Amino acid sequence: MATAFKRTRHGITAVLDESERDLLTRLFLDVAELLEDGLPDDSDPLVAMVGIASDATVPDDPAVARLLPVASTEDDEAAAEFRRFTEIGLRQRKSQNLRTAAATLAAGDDVVLDDASSAAWLTALTDVRLVLAERLEIRTDADAEAVHELLEGGLEDSDADDEDPRAWLAAVYDFLTWLQETLVHALSK
Amino acid sequence: MITAAVAAPVSATTAPVKERQSHAETSVEPEHPWVTIVWNDPVNLMSYVTYVFQTYFNYPKAKAEKLMRQVHNEGKAVVSSGTREEMERDTEAMHGYGLWATFMQDKSG
Repeated sequence: MATAFKRTRHGITAVLDESERDLLTRLFLDVAELLEDGLPDDSDPLVAMVGIASDATVPDDPAVARLLPVASTEDDEAAAEFRRFTEIGLRQRKSQNLRTAAATLAAGDDVVLDDASSAAWLTALTDVRLVLAERLEIRTDADAEAVHELLEGGLEDSDADDEDPRAWLAAVYDFLTWLQETLVHALSK
Repeated sequence: MITAAVAAPVSATTAPVKERQSHAETSVEPEHPWVTIVWNDPVNLMSYVTYVFQTYFNYPKAKAEKLMRQVHNEGKAVVSSGTREEMERDTEAMHGYGLWATFMQDKSG
């Protein structure tokens, strides 16, 4: 069973068992790959030189579109230009944070974070939660409540996880939410 | 490749060009500053949003919490203002943190 993130003299620490670390590693790397899949190949000279994309379309996958949202609601031209200039860098930084977070899980049950890796963890957890929330169709505060209630009712039945993928996803989401809350709390001290 | 979005204003009216000129003329002291807006979402934790406002903008905790509550209760809040370039930078930073932010010219004042 996981213990909350705490600030100690060694840094920000938590204890996560093997199954929890495996789950988190998989999620961090899956979302990293989701972001890396959208990177253009190096053959585009402008991309290779300065990281400016020629393509400025909103990603098809709504989860990726949430990670790289529209930057102007009133000016499509400004939003497209913003995307051309920022999207590659954002994809690269996000995937780097996800991979940094995954790497901290390789050392064993005791997870110890310094300033850089706790910052990476915060955004990594956020990005994974945004993707899971999109898969769970959490679009409003009421949707989020409903998912939480689904869990409260569903987990009394120990077979619920195997039978309902949505309940399993909701349980993972809830675990990540709890973990992030404890990390923010530890960092705010 | 030149995108349709970039090419469009040339074949349209001259209005966008005029706008751009007037912006350039007043760029030292813009009539209307630009703003960054953060929008509410059902995923990001209130504690996290507060932490981001404190960490990135260096806002004191009380101001960060007030802005977070405004985002949560009213659906959005203006979190910073300045030049267009600064607001684009802030918007990009917010996207890095996983918050949905947009930038626009403040026409209210």
